[in-house]
Amino acid sequence: MQKEELKKKIAEKFGEKVTIDERSEKRVYIYVENDIWVDLADFLFNDMDIRFDTGVGLDDRDGVEIMFFFPVDSEHYFVTIKTFLKKPNPAIESISNIIPGAKWIEREIYEMYEVNFLNHPDLRPVLRCDTRPKDFYPHKRENKDEHEMARRKNDGDDRFNEIWGKPEKGKNP
Amino acid sequence: MVKKIPIGPFHPILEEPEFFELHVDGEKVVKIDMTIGWSHRGIEILSEHKTWDQVPFLVERICGICSCSHPYAYVKAVEDLLQVEVPKRAQYLRAIVAELERLHSHLLWTGLAGHFIGYNTVFMWTWKYREPVLDILEATTGNRNHYAMMRIGGVRRDIPTGEYGNIRKMLDDLWEKNELLTGAIVDDPVIHARTKGVGILDKKHCRLYGALGPTARSGGYDVDARRDHPIDAYPELDFDVIVCQNGDVFDKAVVRQMENFESIKLIRQCLDKLEAMGPGTEEDLCLEIGEIPPGEGIGVYEAPRGEVLHYIRSNGKNMPMRHKVRAPSFNNILTNEHSVVGNTVADAGLITAAVDPCYSCTERVGRVDVDSGDRYMMSEGDLIRLSQEKTEQIRKELEGN
Repeated sequence: MQKEELKKKIAEKFGEKVTIDERSEKRVYIYVENDIWVDLADFLFNDMDIRFDTGVGLDDRDGVEIMFFFPVDSEHYFVTIKTFLKKPNPAIESISNIIPGAKWIEREIYEMYEVNFLNHPDLRPVLRCDTRPKDFYPHKRENKDEHEMARRKNDGDDRFNEIWGKPEKGKNP
Repeated sequence: MVKKIPIGPFHPILEEPEFFELHVDGEKVVKIDMTIGWSHRGIEILSEHKTWDQVPFLVERICGICSCSHPYAYVKAVEDLLQVEVPKRAQYLRAIVAELERLHSHLLWTGLAGHFIGYNTVFMWTWKYREPVLDILEATTGNRNHYAMMRIGGVRRDIPTGEYGNIRKMLDDLWEKNELLTGAIVDDPVIHARTKGVGILDKKHCRLYGALGPTARSGGYDVDARRDHPIDAYPELDFDVIVCQNGDVFDKAVVRQMENFESIKLIRQCLDKLEAMGPGTEEDLCLEIGEIPPGEGIGVYEAPRGEVLHYIRSNGKNMPMRHKVRAPSFNNILTNEHSVVGNTVADAGLITAAVDPCYSCTERVGRVDVDSGDRYMMSEGDLIRLSQEKTEQIRKELEGN
């Protein structure tokens, strides 16, 4: 599928709900509104016969940005679809029922950012060990500093002081 | 009566710790439940606390075998953000190291597959043939693994011109040995009986699960990032993408064996180009890269197991704001959900190993009787033993005929 043709088809089908941004010759980014997320993924995967690759989550102060990659192998370019989920309780419809290959990446994004993928067949953490607390989402901005599992800022100082004693001011221990 | 057999998380048949729970009815697997994450090291978060130039050293430690593919995809992601093209000499040097890595990875897998089905001679010979490849990597980059060759804008060091002859000699020897090995696999009736029709992953399911690399290509799903998303020197190099149609374990082995020939061809072409160029200077190796501006980039490279994808986002500081790594096994392991079901327990180990998920070996196999709650612990090699016994049985049957 030629890039221009694909862009035209997406613009025709989804109208103002998508914003297409072509960064370079080989990278097309499409910003999508939440309500057509599954429709667009379905359109790309089934109608346009484009391969699904993987997804990424990215935390921001106001919400979580998620993006999924659809590489067009025959024409050597990447289509990336992006959407923004507002906090608190970011949630979006799962695409795993259309693309089984997205199961694990959605589970991972859920585990890292607490994004609730609605109607996911099996939404449990994929990478988490049993001992990790249930309310700890490692990549969440809030968790990075505040949670008890997060590394305390003065950790290094404490260990240093235990071994070497507290350094006198102005003196190199 | 359905029983559950846990394999792993630490088990000799798994390249890295993973947990497979096989639901079996008699000998037949009816369902598989997989848990990954046993070696989750938080590389993405670590990477977000390292400078742009330190990250390649970190990401090459994701995997001891793909230790060139990950940094390659990472530097391509940054170069995608910067929209720069690296010098020609660096492009060929990158391709040489990446293809040498593919050679040693595929040979490693062939050896292990031989071991799993009870062909320990194949295991030992293959690993013997693999040694010269590692020696060449050591002579050219300084390390058998973790080559530290990739750098944003180029490579860190040149391959001395004196080494070209040694590399060519090694490739010539390996070509012959690989022919021998391919013949041994393709012509052996026991291997046919043991691996043909086992763990089939067809084209439709490859696409649905997003399978990559030899796992996908063995099932007729033609994806190869070197051809589909060409980078650096690859567009001007001549190579074939090996595709088989059946999607069983046999075809996976054949794809990997045939790819070895393609890799050897690629390295020879790169050496020809380098020889034609003559000795290089510092400028031929790496571009001068200043600050990384805000933006985002995607980098892909075809690792031995399939396409590696790195995504980076910069906010203009000296570290990535977000760095996402997607290794091919993440997609490929999920395909077991389809390919293991319907096969026997003796084959399950072979099928899960056939996608070549990345090895961390220790022992633990347990068998739980769900109804009575009885638990049997088996010794380390029991699953391999089951698999080897099946091969032996097939061999005897074939000899009897």
